[in-house]
Amino acid sequence: MSSMRIARAALRARPSALRTFPQRRGYADAVSDKIKLTLALPHQSIYKSTDVVQVNLPAESGEMGVLANHIPSIEQLKPGLVEVVEESGGSKQFFLSGGFAIVQPDSMLSINAVEGYPLEDFSPEAVRSQIAEAQKIASGNGSQQDIAEAQIELEVLESLQSALK
Amino acid sequence: MAFAWKAAGLTYNRYLAVAARVVRRSLKDDKRLAAEKRGEMDLRFAKWENGKQGENKNLAQANEAAISEQGQQGQ
Repeated sequence: MSSMRIARAALRARPSALRTFPQRRGYADAVSDKIKLTLALPHQSIYKSTDVVQVNLPAESGEMGVLANHIPSIEQLKPGLVEVVEESGGSKQFFLSGGFAIVQPDSMLSINAVEGYPLEDFSPEAVRSQIAEAQKIASGNGSQQDIAEAQIELEVLESLQSALK
Repeated sequence: MAFAWKAAGLTYNRYLAVAARVVRRSLKDDKRLAAEKRGEMDLRFAKWENGKQGENKNLAQANEAAISEQGQQGQ
């Protein structure tokens, strides 16, 4: 425990030591309040190490917002809406089909998902007709596996429908 | 956390594939046609025994059968 405290004190002492070399800039003054976002799908990267202000994620453990210097963590994502607040102040919304978000120690955020599209690319009619279809299968007497898959579809579609409203 | 799909014998991989499929189907027509091509998969495999090739099987069908078997065992 005491060795940990010494290590922490050493870490804290470092930035002031760096300040004696004016040509070297510490991480803190280079990028202060931005988080580097990588939002990658198997077939496309929507963001590639782009500086953004904030990212709101639908994690399995609950909705969370990620700012710069967030504590490192790995979160499983629910199918849902990811909101990216960009440097310019505007925000963009993407619906992801589920995946993982990894917050790295140096203000980096990697989001991996299978499918992700901006909200305006979805068709509300297609969502509505698929909900009716999935409900029929989920309450029908198909195999346990078919019912489980219909329930997954319902979870995604209901999340998508509430996002489209 | 208990997931209903896990109890039915589905893997996380299968869960993601189903979720991605339904997202692709919810897109507007022009984007949907391009996206749905990504969901297509047709792989076959055969087991070799004693230097002879066994029966050619469809991977997707074999996976489905394995999943439902696992679901029944879990009950």
